[in-house]
Amino acid sequence: MSLLEIKNLSIHFVTRYSDVHAVNGVDLTIEEGKTLGLVGETGAGKTTTALGILRLIQKPQGRYESGEIIFKGKDLLKATDDEMRSVRGNEISMIFQDPMTALNPILTVGDQIAEVIHLHGKCSQAEANERAVKMLEMVGIRAERAGEYPHQFSGGMKQRVVIAMALACNPSLLIADEPTTALDVTIQAQVLEMMADLKKGRGTAMLLITHDLGIVAENCDDVAIMYAGEVIEYGTLERIFHNPKHPYTLGLFGSIPSLDKDEERLHPIEGLMPDPAALPAGCKFHDRCAYATDECASCEQELAEMESGHKVRCARVMKGEI
Amino acid sequence: MTRKKQRDEKLAANLTELTRKQGQWREVLMRLVRNKVGMFGAILCIALVILCIGAPLFTKWDPYEQAVINKFIYPGREHIFGTDDFGRDLWARLIYGGRYSLLIAFGATCFSTCMGVLLGSIAGYFGGRTDLLITRFLDILQAIPSLLLAIAISSALGSGPFNTMLAISMGGIAGGARMMRSVVMSIRGNEYIEAAKATGSSNARTIATHVLPNTIAPLIINASLSIGGNIMSISGLSFIGLGVQAPTPEWGSILAVGKTYIRDFWPLVVFPSMFIAITIFGFNLFGDALRDALDPKLKD
Amino acid sequence: MGELIRVEHLKKYFNTPGGKLHAVDDVSFVINEGDTLGVVGESGCGKSTLGRTVLKLIEPTDGKIFYKGRDITDITEKENKQLRKKMQIIFQDPYSSLNPRKTVSELIADPLKAFHMLDKAGRAQKVAQLMDVVGLSQRFANSYPHELDGGRRQRIGVARALSLDPEFIVCDEPVSALDVSIQAQILNLLQDLQRDRGLTYIFVTHDLSVVRHISTDILVMYIGAMVEKCGAKDLFKAPLHPYTKGLLSAIPVPNIDHVREKVKLQGELTSPIEPKDECRFIARCPYATEACKQHMPEFQEVAPNHFVACHNVKTINNM
Repeated sequence: MSLLEIKNLSIHFVTRYSDVHAVNGVDLTIEEGKTLGLVGETGAGKTTTALGILRLIQKPQGRYESGEIIFKGKDLLKATDDEMRSVRGNEISMIFQDPMTALNPILTVGDQIAEVIHLHGKCSQAEANERAVKMLEMVGIRAERAGEYPHQFSGGMKQRVVIAMALACNPSLLIADEPTTALDVTIQAQVLEMMADLKKGRGTAMLLITHDLGIVAENCDDVAIMYAGEVIEYGTLERIFHNPKHPYTLGLFGSIPSLDKDEERLHPIEGLMPDPAALPAGCKFHDRCAYATDECASCEQELAEMESGHKVRCARVMKGEI
Repeated sequence: MTRKKQRDEKLAANLTELTRKQGQWREVLMRLVRNKVGMFGAILCIALVILCIGAPLFTKWDPYEQAVINKFIYPGREHIFGTDDFGRDLWARLIYGGRYSLLIAFGATCFSTCMGVLLGSIAGYFGGRTDLLITRFLDILQAIPSLLLAIAISSALGSGPFNTMLAISMGGIAGGARMMRSVVMSIRGNEYIEAAKATGSSNARTIATHVLPNTIAPLIINASLSIGGNIMSISGLSFIGLGVQAPTPEWGSILAVGKTYIRDFWPLVVFPSMFIAITIFGFNLFGDALRDALDPKLKD
Repeated sequence: MGELIRVEHLKKYFNTPGGKLHAVDDVSFVINEGDTLGVVGESGCGKSTLGRTVLKLIEPTDGKIFYKGRDITDITEKENKQLRKKMQIIFQDPYSSLNPRKTVSELIADPLKAFHMLDKAGRAQKVAQLMDVVGLSQRFANSYPHELDGGRRQRIGVARALSLDPEFIVCDEPVSALDVSIQAQILNLLQDLQRDRGLTYIFVTHDLSVVRHISTDILVMYIGAMVEKCGAKDLFKAPLHPYTKGLLSAIPVPNIDHVREKVKLQGELTSPIEPKDECRFIARCPYATEACKQHMPEFQEVAPNHFVACHNVKTINNM
């Protein structure tokens, strides 16, 4: 059985003026101990999906239109608020993009980690403190720094603290929303390496949200590419990187300047992501797609299995026309 | 599909053409009119101003005419708000008095806001030694209690509406300038200020076209709030005999007199307070609406 | 083509309570007309300050800047203003670099107004033409920046920089805030403009794959100082400085078959305030020796057009 299985998840934000279709029928599976990379541009619905798993969608605007989120055999959408609270931070924890705002400036980092442990761990304060210091050492921060405040740490160090906090209760799933986007490359490399080591040692599964295909290549087992609230290509790392099929995925790869090949010009995807409050009919990508036909503009596309471990949401790819 | 796109483009082009002709101020006005709460505030303010300017049209009584036998009459058919301790009609005194109250309060607000904008924006924009100098000056200004400052100025210049206005506005300068300084400092950190400099814009031009338009929101709030405070200050000054002189009707001074009779004769406290409250309320609502209308981000 | 910009021993120190912060420390380079100098480094290495100092938006502490052979370090305010027509800047953040209360056409026309160039009709015509050049549809002329997405906003920034017909533009991380597909659109636009108008760029960025794509030469900076400078393609083939090696191997590559030899860097940037006279990279360098503690290494040419500041460059690279 998979650790987490998302089936047909749809989340809309309904206000008086608009109906934003942020997530539309997303299916994802995360196996125990594996890392799933969720890739997409701003507004693709990656963060909403992640928050949706934890039931942290802003109310009353945010609404689950449909779907099931089955975690360890239990549907989180049917869980009570109390049950959800014991899941959050304990069994599923989340790391946000900006380490600067994720920490409380008036508490020492040691106290902040101990608080999480104390809350979920049912252990004494002294024990929690002790474990907090161990967690800090595990992410490469010296024990004596536990008594320091967040502003005394650099950005990379703060993100380490955040990771220590997220892993403090030994969750089985870690959701990391662009965990290294705010960091410099050399620091990013350090943090990613540390995360990979920790994950391996503890068997934690991870949902890694990023816009950087390079990070995906080096850290993930499976990849899902999102566009306009839909998963448009989904498969194992090898399948997606060796044999990308969807025109949007191809466009993403073409947009990145290569480090070893010389090319005069990049090949960007023309146009912009559609407004999630007014999604086009048919394939959401058709108006930017070089291969679009009239049929693409009218027919909804299905996420269909192209080969084993590789699904694509494009009728023309499935027919072998691209 | 392409035809629909073309039609959309054309529609959008027509729309822009339309708005271009209307101009931006027209747009601001449209947004202002569409704000119902704001319009309610504006109507309150306008109604008050009309009442005050056209005071003789709305009452048959003379606000100065004393009739001791008629003193402390409760509101009724003859005197709709009753009469005061000298038997003068309260309604007449209030609408005539509004001329002074509103004019002084408005004038003082304008003056202190202008001074505040000037000092605050210079201090915030240039920083360094200029900032230090202006801030210290503001410190000194603020160290003196504003009423005391007003008393000092009034007694030096003598009483009378214009001097009262000047005296009251001094107390508002420091607060306005400080707020302005902090707003300008945060705007100065934006890259568009650097962009303006990089494209050869002089300091004065940068302040006028790029800094000041972005300070409008807090400025308007500050001004609309201080109008109310200023009306209260006038009453304070009038109370100790330095503001508007005795027989001249003025809301603050009427209220000050009413305070003496608060247990025995309620109309003398309630009605002037009501006028002051309505003014503050109206200006605040209108100020909020104006701020929203002037902010292009809140369009629609 | 001839040289356009020459910078000699440029220094910019900021006063802080802790002492002098060496934002730019003894930087020299030459950029020829039509070329692009990429400046890379981690945040806090002084790359943005360098760009702004070359433009004279920040007064240098020491050193000289030449524009077409003319010393522009100590020129009058008036001459400085005239210089603005020739030298422009494109900013990183397409949100904070545009005045939220101005429409697109006002934003693009602003530099023209500042110089009292052209009449109203002439300006409108120029704005329309610029919008065309940067690929902004005319229907956005009266939109406000917040109504547009990041890519379109950045196009406004480009149009504004072009409005005075400059010869030289400092691009300060112009694509860092954008999504990859939009990033590629803007990069292509910048390259087209360079080709059509013969522009010269300084391209400041932390993104190494972008800098390789767009630059002629690349300058790597570390805590205010130059670390390595060489032709863009050569730098990626054979980086010589240990910091450059570490920086290059830290980039995640979207290619799963690519196995690279990795130089892992430990630790983080050390403080730029009153640095000691030693190699700035000493705390993180896996090859540090006693010599590195003695004094700062000289920036020397070790191969044709390949400069490195490292005491041990020969031993590290078996040269």
